[in-house]
Amino acid sequence: MKILESQNALLSNYEVYQHIMDQRTRNKAQNRRVPGNAHEVMTEVVTYLKEKPSPLEKQDETQTYSPAAISRLLEKLREANLPSELTKGEILSILNLRPLSSAVLSTAIEDMEERFGDEEQNKIVDIVGEVLGRLEPAEGAAGDEMDAEGEEMDVEAVPSVENGY
Amino acid sequence: MFLLTKIADLVQIAPDDFRKQSYAAIEDNINNKYANKAVQKIGLCICLWDILWTSEGLIGQGDGMVNVNVEFRLVVFRPFKGEVIAARIADQSPEGINLVTNFFDDIFVPWTDLPDGSEFEPSEKLWVWKVDDQVMYFDNNEMVRFKVMAEEWHDQTPSKPVEPVEGTEEQQPAPINIKPPYKIMGSMNGPGLGVCLWWE
Repeated sequence: MKILESQNALLSNYEVYQHIMDQRTRNKAQNRRVPGNAHEVMTEVVTYLKEKPSPLEKQDETQTYSPAAISRLLEKLREANLPSELTKGEILSILNLRPLSSAVLSTAIEDMEERFGDEEQNKIVDIVGEVLGRLEPAEGAAGDEMDAEGEEMDVEAVPSVENGY
Repeated sequence: MFLLTKIADLVQIAPDDFRKQSYAAIEDNINNKYANKAVQKIGLCICLWDILWTSEGLIGQGDGMVNVNVEFRLVVFRPFKGEVIAARIADQSPEGINLVTNFFDDIFVPWTDLPDGSEFEPSEKLWVWKVDDQVMYFDNNEMVRFKVMAEEWHDQTPSKPVEPVEGTEEQQPAPINIKPPYKIMGSMNGPGLGVCLWWE
């Protein structure tokens, strides 16, 4: 076995999730069984990617993440005319974490306080919320309204933001 | 968190896999060999991404296995330094906190990398963070965000059996290597890090 390139490309969580889901539909169509260890690790990865606080939790229903959404995110960040450019790693972190507050955004961006002022930080957070969707309002810090009503509200809310485009 | 690694390897397809289409047989073979295994200095292999090139299948003498040289890309889990990831608290000790994800078990945050003002409660075996008269608990099974600081690789090549020490009558049991092949060291000291609920 020879390693040709130890890092050929970086993948976002969404791409890995999509790849595994596509593989599953293909296997189902052909009635194919994957080897045990592959099946185990793929199921674990998908379960992890769907668990809170991952933004892919509702991906099957709302399809918030898509190649179009990603290019839209990049475009909006470009249009925002930020004083300092975001590196590839930082954009990847933003895609994976979907920061909706400046505190979480600071984990994705290095030296955020020095490169961006409060206004710009809020701008970035707004863009992220617009393009990638938000958490359910019912399942916030209070955490006591975990009923179907709250979730239904969100399933309608997120597509309507997208429908605006 | 995930990256693609290009690997060239020899795949041997057994005769009872001839019923499958070639790409399916190769894919199953590669997944069987690499999935859920940690390769030193590469990371934890998840699954095949795509096949870039294969040679023609050659059948060796003596057995009916078809040997195919394949170049392919694997999805590998290897977070880069400084990346922030979500994980779950598994257990805690005075040395620090052990975190796990569904597919990866060896993440450790030493006590030095917990936020300032953190203390270990021996009665409940939990770490707590005391700040401004507020006490926040690092509860077991809570989702947390942590930043990757370093990674450790431990080669799992088997070592020689230990010679029994002269003079003792019992056989010394062979030392079991309990170090994981791939270990991630993390930090929860910083804004946005720590239990996810704190920052919502």
